[in-house]
Order: sequence, then structure tokens, then C-alpha cells
Amino acid sequence: MTPTAPSAEAFQPKDYKSDLKPIWCPGCGDYGVVQAIYRALAAIGRPPHEIAFISGIGCSSRIPGYTSAYGFNSVHGRALPIAQGIKIARPDLLVLAAGGDGDGFSIGGNHVPHTIRRNLDLTYIVMDNQIYGLTKGQLSPTSPRGRETVTSAYGSMEAPVNPLLYVLAFGAPFVAQGTPADMAGLASIIEEGIRYPGFAFINVESPCVTYGEEDHQLKDHRAAMIPLQSLGHDPSSRIKAMDLAQEYGTKLYTGVFYRNPTPPPTFEALTRERQEKLSAGAPPREKILDLFIQR
Amino acid sequence: MTLRGIDFSKLSLKDALDLAILIEEEAQERYDEFSDQMDIHRTPEAAAFFRTMSGNEQRHGEELRKRRERLFPKEPRTVNRSMIFDIEAPDYDQARAFMTPRQAMQSALRSEEKAHAFFVAALPQIGDAEVRALFGELRDEEVEHQDLVKRAMAKLPPDSGPPPEGFVDDPVAQ
Repeated sequence: MTPTAPSAEAFQPKDYKSDLKPIWCPGCGDYGVVQAIYRALAAIGRPPHEIAFISGIGCSSRIPGYTSAYGFNSVHGRALPIAQGIKIARPDLLVLAAGGDGDGFSIGGNHVPHTIRRNLDLTYIVMDNQIYGLTKGQLSPTSPRGRETVTSAYGSMEAPVNPLLYVLAFGAPFVAQGTPADMAGLASIIEEGIRYPGFAFINVESPCVTYGEEDHQLKDHRAAMIPLQSLGHDPSSRIKAMDLAQEYGTKLYTGVFYRNPTPPPTFEALTRERQEKLSAGAPPREKILDLFIQR
Repeated sequence: MTLRGIDFSKLSLKDALDLAILIEEEAQERYDEFSDQMDIHRTPEAAAFFRTMSGNEQRHGEELRKRRERLFPKEPRTVNRSMIFDIEAPDYDQARAFMTPRQAMQSALRSEEKAHAFFVAALPQIGDAEVRALFGELRDEEVEHQDLVKRAMAKLPPDSGPPPEGFVDDPVAQ
């Protein structure tokens, strides 16, 4: 199927909004995230039927249901393998994957490095609220040490996963972070991630208004966020990006941490290349068995 | 509240009207979202108020659209939604489950104040006299909208707080 040539003004954000009304708690950061996704998709201009949106399980994983696109709210931690399968089968589709920090870095954690090294052209948006919100407030892999919850009354004893360092260390070619406290910035990095020719990772600090920390809500993000552009950060350096990423949890940097200036070949491109190369010397079907017969 | 790619010094009357329409549309959609959220979370009074606000924004938008149609019929729009974020639309974290009508009105009042601040900040940058007149008018209307909300708030009884049976666990930010 030949994808429709994108047209920036052909679609409005509301064209990507489904009829399902979100059941998230009022005040949830995810409302801003889904709005930013609608804005990014409108800016890109692909029609809804050329978009596939895959998620795992959690509050944030409801997003495909609220988006007018092919949506697959799959099983816990498995958005990425399914998204990759869809992209391999249908490289013409614009593929997005989404989920929470638990979905992505606990049960789904081992899919992340392999998705990165495979480098399919898809965008993974993680709504990082440092808690398992859907199940009413348990520690997640990004919860800070000492964080108390109903099921961890004495506080977390574990160091949190740093999602930014994690993906940078495994070689992700595009890494960014945003917050719904800066809607324009968030829509912009989502758009940029989608446009990037390869795997793009976007960590969104999207606070849980019910089970999150009282002093880590959107009003606190507004005060605390530091745009990377304001620091004069050069996103072409992975080492500089990792240096800044180490401050995850203490500083809220927003913007593009890393963008590989020479995007590595995508898995789809390499597959096509190999197929063309192998089919050039391929025998006709009736002679295939000769390959296995010793003469 | 964010603007992208708008040069007020060069803003034409057509683009200014389109911008004002987009601002009203964004606010209307946000109030619709808020009223849906309140319905789903069994907060009917706040839902009803947000629905009223949505109707107000729709009316304001319609008035601007008619004016635009009269002055610039059939001329295509060159400004778009990606240029504005939350100018008059309440920020998403303004909504809360079980919010009282007073809290809902306070969020609307903050949004009208935000919109007023936008027009006040834009005015000194505007080059075109007609655009300046339009923005002055819109600025003054925001003051009227604020007064409407304040009058409605004055009629409310004092808040008694959210119902205790509304929460299983004490919510951190609700």
C-alpha cells in the first residue's frame, strides 16, 4: 500500500481523537500527553488509517483506545514486540508504541534493548509517573528509593531504573523527554520523534494525580523543568546526553537529549536490501531442492 | 500558555480573527473534555458548569466566525492549532474528581485571566491598527467574562469540601 503523501493542513488534532471518552482521573498528566500526540499527528498529516498505535497495560496504555487509528491495547509489557511485528509486516504504516514505566521497564524491560538494536522506524512513548497507578499505587521500577506506598509501607529499598540512561546505553538513536506541563514542547518532540528515521524513545514525566507524589505534579513540573535548549545542549553527542540523563530523578530536563546525526539503517531497510540481494541469485522455485542435493 | 511562529507585528486582521477563533475553539473543546471527565467521575455540578462554559466559548467563536466570513469570505486560513497552546483553555491539571462548583468556577476564572493576560501582552507588539482594535476588544471581553464568573461564584454557598465517602485512599493531589 502506498502511504498517503503527508499534508500538514489536511488533518486537525480532533481528527485523531476517537469517540471513547477517557476514564483517567481528572488532572491526570496523560490527558496532556494524548492531546500532544493528536497535535503531533496533525502536524505530520498522515491519515488515521495509516497509523498503528500499540500499547501494553496500564492507565497510559489506554491511549490507543482514545486515538482514531488502528489500535492494539495488548498485554503487559509487550507493546514493543507487537509494534515491531506490525512494522515489519506493514512498513508503510506509521507505528507508535506507548505504555507506562512499569510496562516498559519492569515486565517489558527486556524488549527495550532488542527493539533498540533492531532499530525499526517506530516511536515509543513512555508515560513515566514512577508508580503503578492502574492497580492503585504500587512501586514501579522508576519509583525513587524510599518511596512509600500502601504495599511498601517502609519505603522502596531499590535504586530506580533510569529510563533515559537505559535507552541511551543500549544505543537508541533518538531520545527525548517531555512533560504535559509544556504542551508545545511535548508535541514538538513527539513530532520530531515520529519524523526521525529509526527508533525514537520519548520519556514523558506524566504525573499520577491520585497515587503520585504531592510535590511532583504538573504545577511542580512547570516550576522545575529545564529546557535542554536553554543549556545550549548539543544533542548530537551521546556522551553529553548520558551525562545529563544521569540527573533523571533530580532534574527535569525537557527536549531532545540525543539525536544520532547519521541515522543508522533501519531493520526494514536492511531487510529489503537483503531480500533484493538474495532474490537476484535465487533459483526458480522448481529448482529449489537442488540447493539441498549433493551431486 | 504558548505561542509558536506568530509575529504580532505582522499579524493581519484575517489572521488575527482566525487566531481568536482557534483560541475559542481550543477552550470550547477543553471545557467539553472537562465536562465529560466530571460526568464520568460523578461530579455533575462541575460537569454542568463546564458545559455552560463550553457553550459560552462556542458562542464567542461563532460571533468571530461570522465577522471573519463577512470581512474575508472564502479566504483560506493560514494560522493553525499548532501555533497556540492553552491560551484560554484551562490547563489539564485544573480538573479534579469531585471538584465543587466553586473550584470549577475558580478554574474558569483563572483561564479568563490567562486569556486577558495574553491579549494585554500581545497588544504592544501589534503593528496593524485594525488588529490592535480587535485585540483591545477581545481584551475587554475577557474582563466581562471574568465578571460573569465572579458573579456566578458570589451566588454559591460556601464549600463544604469533598464527600469523605468519595475516596478509598486519601488522594495525593485531588
